[in-house]
Amino acid sequence: MISTLLRMEFAKIWRLTSVRFGLALLLVFPLLWAYAPGIFEVYGFFLVSGFQVPALSLLSSMQFLLPLLVAISAAELLGTEISNGTLPTILLRPVTRPNWLAAKLIVIAIYPFVMLLVFLLASLAAGIPFGFGGFFGGTGLGEAGLLGQGMLTPGAALGEVVRGYLLAALALVPIGMLALLFTVVFMNAAGGALATLASLIFMQLLVVFPAIEPFLLTTQLNAYAAPGSEVAWVVALIALYGALFAALAVVLFERKDF
Amino acid sequence: MATPAIASDALTKSYGTRTVVDDFTFRVNPGEVYALVGPNGAGKTTVIRLVAGLAFPTSGEVRILGEDPQQTPSVRRELGAVVEAPAAFYPYLTGRANLRLHADLAGGVERGRIDEVLRLMELHDAADRKVGVYSLGMRQRLGVAAAILTRPKVLILDEPASGMDPLSLHLVHSVLRKSAEEGTAVLLSTHHLDEVVAYCTRVAILEEGVLIDEVNLFDRRERFRMRVTDLSCGVRALEAQPELVTHATIRGTELVFIPRTHEDLGSVSGVLAAAGVGVLEMNRDVFDLRAYYRERVSAERARRTGVAPATNDSGYGGAA
Repeated sequence: MISTLLRMEFAKIWRLTSVRFGLALLLVFPLLWAYAPGIFEVYGFFLVSGFQVPALSLLSSMQFLLPLLVAISAAELLGTEISNGTLPTILLRPVTRPNWLAAKLIVIAIYPFVMLLVFLLASLAAGIPFGFGGFFGGTGLGEAGLLGQGMLTPGAALGEVVRGYLLAALALVPIGMLALLFTVVFMNAAGGALATLASLIFMQLLVVFPAIEPFLLTTQLNAYAAPGSEVAWVVALIALYGALFAALAVVLFERKDF
Repeated sequence: MATPAIASDALTKSYGTRTVVDDFTFRVNPGEVYALVGPNGAGKTTVIRLVAGLAFPTSGEVRILGEDPQQTPSVRRELGAVVEAPAAFYPYLTGRANLRLHADLAGGVERGRIDEVLRLMELHDAADRKVGVYSLGMRQRLGVAAAILTRPKVLILDEPASGMDPLSLHLVHSVLRKSAEEGTAVLLSTHHLDEVVAYCTRVAILEEGVLIDEVNLFDRRERFRMRVTDLSCGVRALEAQPELVTHATIRGTELVFIPRTHEDLGSVSGVLAAAGVGVLEMNRDVFDLRAYYRERVSAERARRTGVAPATNDSGYGGAA
């Protein structure tokens, strides 16, 4: 049964307007950074390697664009079922509510990884003119930032980029879960997405409380730059947020009237 | 006694201080068609959703084939339902693909069944078109096709014929009637009183979430009325013959009775003649559900508000 539900959900998420728009945007977005004429004036550096384009793409989109795309898609995945009226129709079949929602949660958890894979490939493609050989400097996703600590081999650079994108994708998972939770609460996609964004903006304001800042969900959006010694802690915190939002969504969904 | 296909006991649903279904108890047995009728906002859709397990009762309970559909989701394998008007499907999938999806979620159906229900609902020509381009009536028919796909023992339908043309309406009602004849218990809400009266077993009239009357249409269809020379004596004579007549009463200036079989009608005349009661005229008692419904709802509103109904011309005098 769960495999049937997962197949359904994968087919559904691919058909969502927000997903198609988001993926198309992520294909084009790296080109802006790779060929931005004012990059030196604004940031004070020149791109010296194609491995730096993925970092620029991620740094410029992780605080707002990518969370926005994930939140909207997650909210739309449930919201369209509510607006189309297919939600009660499917729940009349011998499918338990937790199983049905779990299939959506799994797909939403996988989506950021697919999204960032597309983003990474598009960024690397945009970096082709800069070359992918060894270079002096950093990728922007390692501990030494874009300045680096000397010569970086292509293998090490690719490793930093892949690691950064994996951590970034992981950090976006709880945002998808939060959007689904709010969609369960408000029973519409717009309400779910807007409440998620409002929550993220609110959390970003909470940096004025330094004691709680390391624990905020929005702080984890910088996970891609986490030093090696902190990765386990960051991953655990992200997993905790994801599990908490997912569990709350399931509990509320189980008691909803349709 | 056999387990009812649908059993609801003291079913109540409230939202805050507003009670939308109040203490509603009913049974639907296999092979019965039970209709919920009532004005808009009477609570019909809420009852349907409570019975289908989509909403949770505030108090009371619902059983489908003896099981709580919330606690035992597997009982929904025996349930077919249409709870949205128009019936809801994925618009980017074809009619056939939507039915295949429903079949997969139900654990599968036998080979050829999807084509069979598409043909039955006269949708085979449109089966490979996306549902997004279906008309309202086609979507409703696809809804009924999905509901009967798994040959369920229980069918629950909320306004299954809403927005349909007369031919589609007739098709849907004939499919429901046939399902009931094959032993399926059917619960439906509807405003189509004329169609309902032709084949429903019982009708529940709801007003403001309260069951104000339950009419046994099976008995109603089998009733006869007579003008006789002596009403009281005629009723006594028929009541003394339970092997011929199951029910005899006086309604206005007529004697109304239900014969055990139509073959007994001749014997009924004989019994009355033997009692010295002359039969002046005998007719089948055509039940006007529309008029009866109007009268019962008006009377209930008058009772609740204390304002007398404007007219009362049905001739039923409030008696079921």
